[in-house]
Amino acid sequence: MADAAFLALSVITIGSAIAALELRSLVYGSIALMGTLGGIAGFFLLLDSPFVAMFQLAVYVGSIAVLILFTVMLVKRELIFKKVEDKRRKFVGIALMLVLMVSLGAVILDSGIKQITTDEPAVDFREIGEDFVTYYWPALILMGLILSGAVTGALVLARRVDEENGQRVN
Amino acid sequence: MSVIAPNFKLSEFIKSILDNAFWILLILALIGIPAVQVILFYIEMPVINGELLTPFLALTWIADPSRTLPIIKAFMTTDLFRIAAFPGFGFAALLAAGTIFVERKMLAKLQLRVGPFYCGKIEGILQLMGDGLKLISKEIIIPAKADKPIFWAAPVLFVATAAAFVALIPVAPGWVVADLDVGLLAVFAIIGFFPIITILSAWAANSKFPFIGGIRALFQMVSFEIPLILSLLGAVILTGTLNLSEIAASQSSFPWIIFLPIGAIVFFVTMLAELERIPFDLPEAESEIVAGWLTELSGMMYGLVQLGTYLKLYAFAALFVVIFLGGFNGPMLWPPFPEEIITEGIELGPVTAQIPGLPVFSQEVLNGILMFVLKTVGVIFFILLPRGVFPRIRVDLLLDLGWKKLIGLAFVNIFIALGLLYAGILGPGGII
Repeated sequence: MADAAFLALSVITIGSAIAALELRSLVYGSIALMGTLGGIAGFFLLLDSPFVAMFQLAVYVGSIAVLILFTVMLVKRELIFKKVEDKRRKFVGIALMLVLMVSLGAVILDSGIKQITTDEPAVDFREIGEDFVTYYWPALILMGLILSGAVTGALVLARRVDEENGQRVN
Repeated sequence: MSVIAPNFKLSEFIKSILDNAFWILLILALIGIPAVQVILFYIEMPVINGELLTPFLALTWIADPSRTLPIIKAFMTTDLFRIAAFPGFGFAALLAAGTIFVERKMLAKLQLRVGPFYCGKIEGILQLMGDGLKLISKEIIIPAKADKPIFWAAPVLFVATAAAFVALIPVAPGWVVADLDVGLLAVFAIIGFFPIITILSAWAANSKFPFIGGIRALFQMVSFEIPLILSLLGAVILTGTLNLSEIAASQSSFPWIIFLPIGAIVFFVTMLAELERIPFDLPEAESEIVAGWLTELSGMMYGLVQLGTYLKLYAFAALFVVIFLGGFNGPMLWPPFPEEIITEGIELGPVTAQIPGLPVFSQEVLNGILMFVLKTVGVIFFILLPRGVFPRIRVDLLLDLGWKKLIGLAFVNIFIALGLLYAGILGPGGII
């Protein structure tokens, strides 16, 4: 059962990833990207971490994919995309991807993944939370500062003065 | 005088009915019952009265009253029943249908109109059935340049997402379709799908009014999702769990709204915005953009979206009840099941009917359902009420409310919860 689910999820994830890259229609491409992100959430479910899976769905599918979709819908495709068919670029791209995959695979295989025992109980998400506020608290605070800096910067950039004497101008 | 059917003859009418009955009986006997038997061989059957129910005995419950209730009870423990009928889709759809009728009638009374009146003898009680038949029989028209696959899929996806939301709601102790450890996070994940479906449907219609409505819906839903999530975290902090059944069960002595009223208010306002209800109905503003993102939907596609909307309304009201109003907890109002029916049976003159398998539901479950439904209906009433009172809010005020005021209030609520937790008053190991 788990094997069948794993196979189906792999097909969905990889297939929709390829579709996201290859489809000419940008909206369908972003829907395929949603499929990829949802498939990854499925992998997290198979790995006994529903907490991460739900956040994957809520953040990546629920927010980031929506933003991509929204941007795509407001863009006139002809203005920014010209159909450039360049054989050499394609081959260089494929070669680069292969190099990247091989090196990443070597790192992962070298990291002791073969010695992992699979019958251990799943990590409780409460422990993750406790680790975050005890051992990893500097990282948490750093992340918070970076995020608030980014949000403040975005607000400053997006600010517009269109108010005079408390009445809207236009 | 108009004649609807000039060649009508009663004898031919009766003959056609009898013909149909004959053919239905014949097909059922020759194909239907054997097909049911074949399917039954592949289903795991329950043990009834100490005897395994085989496919040969499966239809005996029709004639043998001592088997009827045990078989029904065994069926009620299956996943199919839970998903399709009781805590899941059927129950929610029933409440949603009731909501639609009550909304129309109540709004009419608020605005000194009559409302649905002619369908059915009493106060237009059959109006909903008439509307449903009308929607089913209408032709579905797809705009010429619409993106057909997405346009077809959107209403179905909308109902499916709303049903997935409904599946997470605990209705009574132990009666929930999906009892997840991360139930509240699953709620957030599912809520995130609604804006996607809305904007895809709006874009696929290839028409300007749906697109404007869809973009408004997207703005509104995404900006109100954040205060919605934050306003529910107070109850999670005090309960120490994300499981909705445990959150409901933790309020056996008092509901969290006593300690977290700000969170409840913020959640209620965000709920109105997520449901696109007045005063936040900009995505469907009928006086500006026809019907918003629903403009191009026709026939049963519109009906499905409407069903999904009201399922979503029920699910949000139920979530409010589960998190802030104590869910299925409450005073024991349901009378206990009379013992003598179980021990002695029902006496009908000379005959005494022994009915094994009673009671079907325990008293606690029935009382839980009663409490839950009463509270949910109350919350739904308060969701419907603003529609008769308030005008539509302006879009900049809406975004201002969502991003500035409600998020601030939600954080105040979280700090109240944290204060109660660290002062040792509430929460795990608290005084109360």
